[in-house]
Amino acid sequence: MPQTKVLLVDDEIEFASALAERLQLRNYDVKVGHTAIEAMGFIHQFMPDVVVLDLKIPGMDGLETLKTIKKLDPTIEVIMLTGHGDVLSVEEGMKSGAFEYIMKPIDIGELTSKIDKAKKKRINA
Amino acid sequence: MENENEEDLKALQLRFVGKIIAGFTHEIKNYLAIIKESSGLIGDMIKMGKLSENDVPEYLEIIQSIEDQIGNAIEHFTHLNRFSHRMDTQISAFNLNECIEELIALLNRFARQKKIVLATDFQQDLPPVKSNPSMLQLLVFSFLENKIAGLEKNGRITVRTGAVDNAVAVKIIPEGTFAEGDADAGTTTGKIRENFIKQLGGNISQGAAKETVITLPVHGV
Repeated sequence: MPQTKVLLVDDEIEFASALAERLQLRNYDVKVGHTAIEAMGFIHQFMPDVVVLDLKIPGMDGLETLKTIKKLDPTIEVIMLTGHGDVLSVEEGMKSGAFEYIMKPIDIGELTSKIDKAKKKRINA
Repeated sequence: MENENEEDLKALQLRFVGKIIAGFTHEIKNYLAIIKESSGLIGDMIKMGKLSENDVPEYLEIIQSIEDQIGNAIEHFTHLNRFSHRMDTQISAFNLNECIEELIALLNRFARQKKIVLATDFQQDLPPVKSNPSMLQLLVFSFLENKIAGLEKNGRITVRTGAVDNAVAVKIIPEGTFAEGDADAGTTTGKIRENFIKQLGGNISQGAAKETVITLPVHGV
């Protein structure tokens, strides 16, 4: 099976780079974006299987980015990252087509298992 | 009427403390999230046998990042600790800039959630003020809360300090588009603010463009 392509979008630069490297060490093909604009650029060039998307990114916020991604390609699965118990945003995200959500600080095993499930769903889509 | 004011005051105090605690815990969780990934990465690298001399700079870089995040967290703890201890004595001689800086640091996340930048512009060498710093913080919060609620996203609020004669001033200057209506027609009633400023022995004035100026006498109430 080819490597799963993961786009990680988080404006917390150090968090994103450490997490990206941990995923790469687990054999995922990872790109990092820090803003919604960067994220949308990668959607076109990199064509990720799964997007791990922080809801609190500057510019167009996480929820709007999620909706834009799902509109462009509904088979791209999105896992929302949330720093706090922002129940309303999570609910709205799930209604807008997010695959799953995960709370920060994250558990790497939980994240990779969600990424793998998301990839499976995309393959079967 | 008195009772109504008392209830409004209690509600304001609770909102204030709630915002401070929520902002504080979110920031700390964020730092911990970075620390967790960084230390997790060190563990991953060791497990995968990245143990050559060439890997040392990367290890050092990750350790530095952990130290930085711990430094940020400690700074936040210091702010919260000072903030809480200000309530120990009602009247004290305090540094206005420190008092406002701490407030802004603790409220920053609350503003950022609405994509509003909270900035400070301090006149250095202000004389110490003899007054009630907790009450001043609550008063400044009551204005910040309304202006943050009123401003559309991508706005900015600058809190400026300065000295004139025997008084110091806190100027709250919003920039951006206000959603609708009056920025200060929010939740805190004028009566509560009047009461605060009377106890502080100062004065509140509304400037142009929804600016608010709070002045306090240096020599106290």
